[in-house]
Amino acid sequence: MGKHEHQPLELLPGTLDLLILKIVARGAMHGYGIALMLKTASEDVLEVGESSLYPALQRLLLNGWVTAEWGASENNRRARFYTITAAGRKRLAVERADFERMVGAIQRVLQTT
Amino acid sequence: MTRFFRRLQYWMHRDRMDAELAEEMEFHRSMLADDGRPAAMGNRTLARENARGVWIWPWLESLWQDAVYALRTMRRQPGFTLTALAALGLAIGVNTSLFTIFNAIALRPWPVAEPSRVVTIDRFTREGGSDFGIAEYRYLAQNSKSFSGMIAMRNGERVKLGDRALPLTYVSGNYFAVLGIQMERGRGFVAQEDVTGAPAAVVVISHDLWENLLGGDPRVVGRTIRLDDVPFTVVGVTPADFISADPLRNLVWTPLAARQLLRPNDPSVEKWLAAADSCCTPIAGRLARGVTRRAAQAELAILVDRFREQNRMSRQNPRIVTAGTAWIESPRKKRQVVPTMVALFLAVTLVLLLACANVGNLLLARAAARRQEIAVRLSLGGSRMRLVRQLLVECMLLALAASALGLTMAMALPAAILERLAPDQIIHIAPDRNVLIYTMAVATLSCLAFGLAPALHGTRAGIAGALKGGAGAEGPTRRLSLRSALLAVQVAISVTLLVNAGLLVRGIQRAQRLDPGFDVRNTSVLSIDLPASQYTGPRTKQLTSALWAQLERSRDLPAAGLALNPPLSNATYSTSFQLTGRPGSPRLHIYANEISGGYADALGMRLLAGRNFVPEDAGRDVLIVNQAAAKRFWPGEDALGKTAVANARVRQIVGIISDTYTNDLTEIEAVIYFPATGSWGAPAVVVRDRGAATLDRIASLVKQMEPRAEIRAATLAASFDRKLQPSIYASELAGLLGLLALAIASVGMSGVFAYVVGQRTREIGVRMALGAQPSQIVRLVLGSSVHALAGGLVFGVAGAAGISALLVNALPGIHPLDVLAYSGVVLLLMAAVTVASAVPARRATRVDPVRALRWE
Repeated sequence: MGKHEHQPLELLPGTLDLLILKIVARGAMHGYGIALMLKTASEDVLEVGESSLYPALQRLLLNGWVTAEWGASENNRRARFYTITAAGRKRLAVERADFERMVGAIQRVLQTT
Repeated sequence: MTRFFRRLQYWMHRDRMDAELAEEMEFHRSMLADDGRPAAMGNRTLARENARGVWIWPWLESLWQDAVYALRTMRRQPGFTLTALAALGLAIGVNTSLFTIFNAIALRPWPVAEPSRVVTIDRFTREGGSDFGIAEYRYLAQNSKSFSGMIAMRNGERVKLGDRALPLTYVSGNYFAVLGIQMERGRGFVAQEDVTGAPAAVVVISHDLWENLLGGDPRVVGRTIRLDDVPFTVVGVTPADFISADPLRNLVWTPLAARQLLRPNDPSVEKWLAAADSCCTPIAGRLARGVTRRAAQAELAILVDRFREQNRMSRQNPRIVTAGTAWIESPRKKRQVVPTMVALFLAVTLVLLLACANVGNLLLARAAARRQEIAVRLSLGGSRMRLVRQLLVECMLLALAASALGLTMAMALPAAILERLAPDQIIHIAPDRNVLIYTMAVATLSCLAFGLAPALHGTRAGIAGALKGGAGAEGPTRRLSLRSALLAVQVAISVTLLVNAGLLVRGIQRAQRLDPGFDVRNTSVLSIDLPASQYTGPRTKQLTSALWAQLERSRDLPAAGLALNPPLSNATYSTSFQLTGRPGSPRLHIYANEISGGYADALGMRLLAGRNFVPEDAGRDVLIVNQAAAKRFWPGEDALGKTAVANARVRQIVGIISDTYTNDLTEIEAVIYFPATGSWGAPAVVVRDRGAATLDRIASLVKQMEPRAEIRAATLAASFDRKLQPSIYASELAGLLGLLALAIASVGMSGVFAYVVGQRTREIGVRMALGAQPSQIVRLVLGSSVHALAGGLVFGVAGAAGISALLVNALPGIHPLDVLAYSGVVLLLMAAVTVASAVPARRATRVDPVRALRWE
């Protein structure tokens, strides 16, 4: 009949930072754009609300992994654009490696037991 | 670290950051709307708060908010704030001042380099604790490996510098070096200046002395000053803040050996310096690197016995104890001081408790007034813990402000108190880190004490009823119980302090009327100071017998006599005493005095048997004993004519005189009297007259015989009053604290009465409409607190009786159940209640029944 109506899944804590970093690594983006990219790239599985997104972005700012600047959006509205920093790229690599190790381990356990 | 700086930057621009975030999220929503998707994205406020929470620890921010709110509330109610600050500030100030004094005198170690390595050394044997002899000390200092340096010090007599008499301290040559004192000018002593038998006439003076008595002379080092008329060279000046090992003796130091220069004709000095078995000099030392106290103690015990062996003395097997230099660590503390200290601390703590109860009551009243605000906040979902925390933050701010006031008081008050108690000492007292920590602790505890209960009480869930508005929403009696309890506490504390003050005052009155066994009112004492450096034993004896003969001859003088030790002086003499003709009777120590024939008459004492001394007795072995001695040693017999060995000679008893109080006013002891020979020192003249004419005549009599004598005349009444001085101070202190307590409690009482009037305005209106008289209304208002007041009175009286039972031994004349004192305080309390209730009672009687009833 249609697509299976899945409830949007809860993101594992800590992975949101990883995903945001990966998204802005490709280029500067504003908050709405990041949320949109997340939704489409995950085929509607991951939907993040503003009460999780913006605190996450602030956290990335606090740690110096992204910088933010006001600019003009596609439709000429004022928006804040986030860009990844060098430290952010390093962090991205580390978190990605950790994540893949974690996933690999979970997979192995599921397959062998 | 960088994260911290980023946080700081965020904090500084937090409003702008907040606005930017809001704008950003607004943009997000508008984009969502453009895309046709509903903005069901959750709680915006929560998002903003979470975002902020990333930068600023939320607890810190809410704490800051609480503090700002608290300050605003306090500013809006200046009456409450000032009253609370005043009560708390005074109470904390008194507390901190006392601790400052205690800290300076008892808790601080010597102000020397590395004080933890410096220890006092005490010796304990079967007979008790004792100090060391100087020859012994020098042996130990030389041979001990556990100490990098050992010092000895001995408090000396007062010496005259110009026209001032200063307390002198004798110290070993290495004193300043071992303690690591950096001299302000010049240097300390060196070992060569402290050689027994070859002393150097050198002196170190304090900064205060240099400034005040020597005029801050820039060339003071090398200058010669005369102590007791003996020239000494100043070699150094101690720094201005050096308060020395004994804060009451910090003016003048000379080497131990130099005592021979000051007392050349005193044979006991040489003995003190050189004999192996001399005693009574305290020593201390700086532990060598890596040496423990136990090791040092063991080594010294061995060395002491080796010294004794070398000097053909018996083995002692002493127990050597080293201790820190703070007074409180000393193993031989004076036991009498501790109860006084405890009593003082108890008193000021009580005042603090009272202030806390007072502020607590004020806070309860305020919480009651803010009932509606609190109810609204609770109903909107505010957490009770958060509210309680906010109230506590208010209390903490109050406590901190009061501590600041208290610390300010503690800068000035301790010095003022000490100046009153010991006016001729220079003591440097100032709050230090310990005092600060103590004050913070006191403030925190007070805050919890007065703030916690009202905070919990005022935020109870049942407060929802308050939303309906109107006074008396809850039964007045229930809410009043906590306030009544606090009131009772305040009354109890005030009563305790005031009753104790009253008991002390009555005790002093009783002590002043005491009959010490001699006539206090009409007698004077002339003390004779002979220049010690020029007076030898034989010359003193000559003077004494000449004086005795002169007094005997003068027919137109009122009764006068000589005494080595006049009554109520602070010295006591004792000597060995053993009965003859009774084998096995022990050798005791007994109080002794030297008197002439006119002594008993001069003091109004009675001769009970035998005769008084005559001048010829000075060459005979005779004794007079007092009645207590006669009853103790010859019970049931006539002591007259009996013999005893006193001071190593057999003497015969020729007279018995009445008992007197010797030095303190609490006990009668057995005393024996020798005829005045002057062998122990120059006597004082006791005369039965207060008139200046007589005193001048006697003074000129003495001066004729010895022009260089210094005569000081004082009435016995003055010495008597001086003995009572501690009691007088105590009563002043207790009285002031008690009045302070009562004042604070009265303000508290007034508050409670006003509250009751406010609570029961409607009820009062109804009663007045029904024709009640004003007096009935007043009785209604007071009646609500009668239980609290009565309870407080009962507890206060019980507490006072308990405390005074402790004081009985410390101060003379106190009778714990003195009716006059208790009734006086009850009257005072009733007066306070009357005053406190005046304004609220009037307001109660002025209630307009119509208006009160209309507020339905």
